[in-house]
Amino acid sequence: MTRTVQISKQRFTLDSDEIVRSVSSVLPEPIHEHYVVVGGRRFPPKQVIALATGLDRADFTTHQARRILRGLGFPAARRGNAGASATCETEGATEPSSVEALRPHFGEWVAVRADEVLVGASTPAEVIAWLSRHDQKADSLFRVAADEASAGGAAPS
Amino acid sequence: MKFPFRHLPAATGGQLAPRPVVDVWLEGIDVAPLGCLVDSGALRTRFSRELAIAAGIELDSSHAERFAVGGQVVEAAPARVNLSLGADEALHTWDAPVWFCDPWPFAFQLLGLEGFLRHFRTTVSGYQEWIECKPER
Repeated sequence: MTRTVQISKQRFTLDSDEIVRSVSSVLPEPIHEHYVVVGGRRFPPKQVIALATGLDRADFTTHQARRILRGLGFPAARRGNAGASATCETEGATEPSSVEALRPHFGEWVAVRADEVLVGASTPAEVIAWLSRHDQKADSLFRVAADEASAGGAAPS
Repeated sequence: MKFPFRHLPAATGGQLAPRPVVDVWLEGIDVAPLGCLVDSGALRTRFSRELAIAAGIELDSSHAERFAVGGQVVEAAPARVNLSLGADEALHTWDAPVWFCDPWPFAFQLLGLEGFLRHFRTTVSGYQEWIECKPER
């Protein structure tokens, strides 16, 4: 899906596939209130629009970013209070349970808090660095297994 | 300290069987505890080598060993580390021998007899899907 939008007096033609690609190698920043789901991961809307346009985040608002991304077909939602499960605002955005929240992260190390995946990355060092950088604490750090053998550990003595 | 079993998604859809997992703090990593599978059949406590690197833990390479697990050869080297379970006033810390393994392709770190079960009286309800760990002293 492609849309032409005006942000901070500049016109941009944004393509949803390109946006997915542009964030694919980027770790999402902490979600304060609003988020959009891009490629199965939650991002602050301003982070996505800044990446897609190269604009400074001071040049637009969260609501503007959210509206544009919703228009491109990305589910947008708002976090619940005090780490409670998030509540969705948009049609087609289904709020994942803890299990569903892990599903986009097969094979990755993740840091989770309550039912929310704070960050997923290919190594624990990246996850730990992200938590430290953003002054976040998680409830658990582990890798999301894809099958019973990986989850069970096939324990040696 | 009582913990519900950990649920994980299955790549083929649905969920994997829930497992007795507890979150253990490893010295040197203070932003998150590690999800650890409690394994009554394991003698040793085994973590991913990547975690030792992230935590700045020096391994005793003179006692390194190789073993086969999950169809591949794994190298492991031990270190004595502080582990902690719980939070705030209920935090219990103990000194444990942990074998750090490379590669470690599993979801969770593994808590065995040495390093964990010697320190906790552990009750598991597979029916109700919880695990309870009480420090032995």
